[in-house]
Amino acid sequence: MAASSEEVLLVVKKVRQKKQDGTLYLMAERIAWGPEGKDRFTVSHLYADIRCQKISPDGKAKIQLQLVLHTGESTTFHFANENSALRDRDAAKDLLQQLLPKFKKKANKELEEKNRMLQEDPVLFQLYKDLVVSQVISAEEFWANRLSMNSVNHSTSNNKQEVGISAAFLADIRPQTDGCNGLRYNLTSDIIESIFRTYPAVKQKYAENVPHNLTEKEFWTRFFQSHYFHRDRISTGLQDLFSECAKQDEKGLKSMVGQGVKNPLVDLQSLEDKALDEGYGTAATPSTSNSNRTVKENSNSAIIKRFNHHSAMVLAAGLHVEVVLQTSGWFSFHDLGDWYFPVGAIEYEDLQQEDGLKTVSLNLKKSDRYSHGPVPIQTQHYTTSQDIINSVILVQHEMANYKPCLTQVMSSTMASSAIVALSPGGVLMQAGTQQAINQMVPSEVQSELKHLYTAAGELLRHFWSCFPVNTPFLEEKVVKMRSNLERFQLTKLHPFQEKVQRQYFSTNLTGHLEEMLQTAYNKFHAWQTRRMMRKT
Amino acid sequence: MKLNIEGLLVYFPYDYIYPEQYSYMQELKRTLDAKGHGVLEMPSGTGKTISLLSLIVAYQRAYPLEVTKLIYCSRTVPEIEKVVEELRKLMEFYAKETGETNKLLALALSSRKNLCVHPEVSSLRFGKEVDGKCHSLTASYIRAQRHSNPSQPICHFFEEFDALGRQVPIPPGIYNLDDLKAFGRRKGWCPYYLARYSILHANIVVYSYHYLLDPKIADLVSKELAKKSVVVFDEAHNIDNVCIDSMSVNLTRRTLDRSQANVETLQNTIQRIKEIDAAKLKEEYRRLVEGLKEANVARETDIYLSNPVLPDEILQEAVPGSIRTAEHFVGFMKRLLEYLKSRLRIQHVVQESSPQFLKDIYEKVCIDRKPLRFCAERLRSLLRTLEITDIADFSPITLISHFATLVSTYSKGFTIIIEPFEDKTPTIANPVLHFSCMDPSIAIKPVFERFQSVIITSGTLSPLDIYPRILDFRPVTMSSFTMTLARTCLCPLIVGRGNDQVAISSKFETREDFAVIRNYGNLLLELSGIVPDGIVAFFTSYIYMENIVASWYEQGILENIQRNKLIFIETPDAAETSMALEKYQEACENGRGAILLSVARGKVSEGIDFVHHYGRAVIMFGVPYVYTQSRILKARLEYLRDQFQIRENDFLTFDAMRHAAQCVGRAIRGKTDYGLMIFADKRYARADKRGKLPRWIQEHISDGSLNLTIDETVQLSKHFLRQMAQPFRREDQLGLSLLTLDQLQSEETLQRIAQIAQQV
Repeated sequence: MAASSEEVLLVVKKVRQKKQDGTLYLMAERIAWGPEGKDRFTVSHLYADIRCQKISPDGKAKIQLQLVLHTGESTTFHFANENSALRDRDAAKDLLQQLLPKFKKKANKELEEKNRMLQEDPVLFQLYKDLVVSQVISAEEFWANRLSMNSVNHSTSNNKQEVGISAAFLADIRPQTDGCNGLRYNLTSDIIESIFRTYPAVKQKYAENVPHNLTEKEFWTRFFQSHYFHRDRISTGLQDLFSECAKQDEKGLKSMVGQGVKNPLVDLQSLEDKALDEGYGTAATPSTSNSNRTVKENSNSAIIKRFNHHSAMVLAAGLHVEVVLQTSGWFSFHDLGDWYFPVGAIEYEDLQQEDGLKTVSLNLKKSDRYSHGPVPIQTQHYTTSQDIINSVILVQHEMANYKPCLTQVMSSTMASSAIVALSPGGVLMQAGTQQAINQMVPSEVQSELKHLYTAAGELLRHFWSCFPVNTPFLEEKVVKMRSNLERFQLTKLHPFQEKVQRQYFSTNLTGHLEEMLQTAYNKFHAWQTRRMMRKT
Repeated sequence: MKLNIEGLLVYFPYDYIYPEQYSYMQELKRTLDAKGHGVLEMPSGTGKTISLLSLIVAYQRAYPLEVTKLIYCSRTVPEIEKVVEELRKLMEFYAKETGETNKLLALALSSRKNLCVHPEVSSLRFGKEVDGKCHSLTASYIRAQRHSNPSQPICHFFEEFDALGRQVPIPPGIYNLDDLKAFGRRKGWCPYYLARYSILHANIVVYSYHYLLDPKIADLVSKELAKKSVVVFDEAHNIDNVCIDSMSVNLTRRTLDRSQANVETLQNTIQRIKEIDAAKLKEEYRRLVEGLKEANVARETDIYLSNPVLPDEILQEAVPGSIRTAEHFVGFMKRLLEYLKSRLRIQHVVQESSPQFLKDIYEKVCIDRKPLRFCAERLRSLLRTLEITDIADFSPITLISHFATLVSTYSKGFTIIIEPFEDKTPTIANPVLHFSCMDPSIAIKPVFERFQSVIITSGTLSPLDIYPRILDFRPVTMSSFTMTLARTCLCPLIVGRGNDQVAISSKFETREDFAVIRNYGNLLLELSGIVPDGIVAFFTSYIYMENIVASWYEQGILENIQRNKLIFIETPDAAETSMALEKYQEACENGRGAILLSVARGKVSEGIDFVHHYGRAVIMFGVPYVYTQSRILKARLEYLRDQFQIRENDFLTFDAMRHAAQCVGRAIRGKTDYGLMIFADKRYARADKRGKLPRWIQEHISDGSLNLTIDETVQLSKHFLRQMAQPFRREDQLGLSLLTLDQLQSEETLQRIAQIAQQV
């Protein structure tokens, strides 16, 4: 392992993993752990593979850090240094916290891509199930040469699409009671980012106060305690860290309102042409004092305001990327001086003769042909009766002139064996019985066989792609692939064979598969002997 | 296409026509032929406006002596602009087909705020400020002062218009508000006064209801419009309320205090003028003795609001002696104010009629009926004589004078209610004197009498027969048109129960019920998961919405809804709501989807359309009954019962259902549009409620969708939405809900069209 060339960011000693003492290394692209006294790593994870890190609660005796991988596996490190365990752990955690998000996007994208491929291709999915889930080959190997071909054409198209924010991200932080009068909130970096993007004021507060005034934890504790988070509470104390945020929001909302609206159709203020003067009309005059609103009513209107603000902010955060806001096709504005007026609002599109682009509608004469795809047209030779008569005459003519060539005839034994082979049940006439197998064998066995074939084919493809073996990497791989093949034969093929034999003793369904495997083994064997010879 | 509507050649600027448009034009033509009034209900989105315009313009061209002018009244500024744009399209079609240049003059008129081009004045935000500022620059005495004092600021646009604008009429054409402004800027003329002047000879005028219905404004603006005009009230389902509002007055203690200050200002001004220029007051006195009509002397710019009573009620005699001199009048006003103040110092609610009030005021402070009637007129004259510039500051005293004139003019149809406090807060004294009009026919009567044809039309006028009754007129045609549909693009569902079988209803006894609120929440949550893009939900009142939103928040329902869509909520503040609306549309546009929580009878429900993906579902939570405990409403109901034999319950249900129909109708704005209409209250299932919905909605309520649970609703909605998501082409519509000229000429189609209109 070429550890020396990597940049080591952090080294923590006295870290136990599986009851073994060792050292934890945080490198530029991966985290690794090696047992004490040895110069290789027994644990090594790329950051991109790590889904999240978990830490043991503060009060606990064991100070641990757990890494959960995307595959679902997890690795736990126990920080065992008596006096600085907590500090060590936090140092590792903080560093990881900075590093993981950087790789996250990449990992996510890859993961998404893999997911997509599996979902779109059922055959691939089955293959994945057969090979990876049953641990014939590892996920890495499986994807090794698949992704590369796909990533090329996809990376260009979806390289930069920012994900919007879920409107309910605050709802996702469900508080859990921890059993002793407390609440626990689970925050992920995604949620934190959502909060920051939606509420820039909180981000600013965070930048101002963390870490010099407050620790991160304190900050978020205060956030959840604040009225700001609980939208029905009304700001009471000024000492609250977030009261300023609320004020800023209020200001933001005001400025948004102040900007007015661009679309005259939704501008309620200018809707009315000639409002009644104050004092006219039957509508009750608005009460002069605002004091008679109850606290409840106030809090209700606060909720409404904040919901509007929240939605607007979420929307704005989602739109950050697209600087140019698309105007819809339906409302194409054309400028009429100060007033611009949506054309769509006054025209009845279905009353007009459409003169725009004429679209060609798909006209199917035979819809079944459309759904089955193109079928090669069979060239059919129609034979006229004249042709037939001609050919009969020709054959008759040939027969009449037939002269056996006696020097080239077979011996009688060979001839009779050929006749046997060609008669039904013979070696060359097995096509007929295969037809029968097709009907004899139940469909689930057939599908199982099909899966075995695809799996074997995949493995063999991997195997054969190693030849010619000209690099040490390929060498390693070919050895691994052979063991994979053996494992496949052992775990998949043999059980199947046994099962088939139990039920249909006469037919040999897996003969061809075994043959293919045998060929591969032979090749491997030949290669190995040649190598041994070269070595010796 | 060119149509033949019972012998009239009508140019219709589209290649296809909806059958109901054809039918609508037929009815309209009959109304015009009969020179009578009409009530026509046609679903929104079926091209009412263009049908109206096409037919009336054609009629005008064919019989220029019968119909000289079209007065098109709409409710909101965007609607006014829409009408002008459709008219422009029609005229372009005319020009193309006939080859002759357009000789018609059509223009929109709006308030100064929307028309002013004066750089300083137009920058003001509120209409009232703009009006006041404009007055201070253009009043006749200001302009007179300018002669002696060149530093006096005036409006150059108005000066230019006054000097030149009247000689040369504005060239024929179609002018929307921007066109008028552009024309005004080019010529240097004031667009507002140009428009006001030009409506006298324009062929088509488009403006808001108030210019005809509010006597204070109508007297100034629409007084000289020709009798042979056709008046159209579009979106007229609320016309009775507009009439009532224009004649009602509310007085609070604050109004009185501010009037007090006004009176003092007046007194000081009189004192000052008396020292400098006593002749002015003498002149005014002489004029009043002679009873000269204001119109002879007053310039159009001088008057802020005209007399609140209707033209034929205005007395043609001289102002009575007791208020002729300025000081006497001020003293008179003081007495009136004191009297009103004493009336507001009460502990219990008082309700009385106008004659009772007049009797009481005579007994208490010896104010006679006659001088009261002249109060508005007299104040106007005084304000002009005193050359008050900040006329907007005097609105409280103007209001008082209007009240005095109204109360002494009409002995019937009005009621006076004095409430010492609001019902919700009985401990806080906030006395209000409501002088409320109960009879909408009072304000609209002169319109019906004066103009030869008045058309009342809207998408929701059901039941049709109630409008002629409450507006007291006799229509020659009353028709309701259905919407011919190639596919049922609306899906009204009545949800009566939650999944737990608890009946859901917003009726007073159960509206705070936890189960009802939860079921409402579940309904919205479920729908937010299946309806694409926008959902609009309407509540019965703002307070109810606040309460429900709060308890949804507590129960976590809102958070779950947020997982599906963004939430925007209407607030009492118009600017905030506008912003929420815009964001709502943005969210629908970019595919996130959003929910708008709104209020029936609110601004959103009245003026905003949710076309296509802006509203794929409308949910009406509860039946939007008006607040029945209000005394004004009770008085009005009583009046309706006594005068028009309309039962209270009938009227309340009618009122609730027209608002419900307005709300749900917001989602369907055309035949290519589609949307769910969900009535979430079990009371909608009853025949008396359901029967008051417009025909085009009623038709699609099947017996199977009357009392659904939430689950069933979701199932039906899913099915509906899936069907609607299929492509919809013109061929599907053609012949059924869309006609070509050829199809229109076939006998069979014409028979079918005849069935579309349902005469009442």
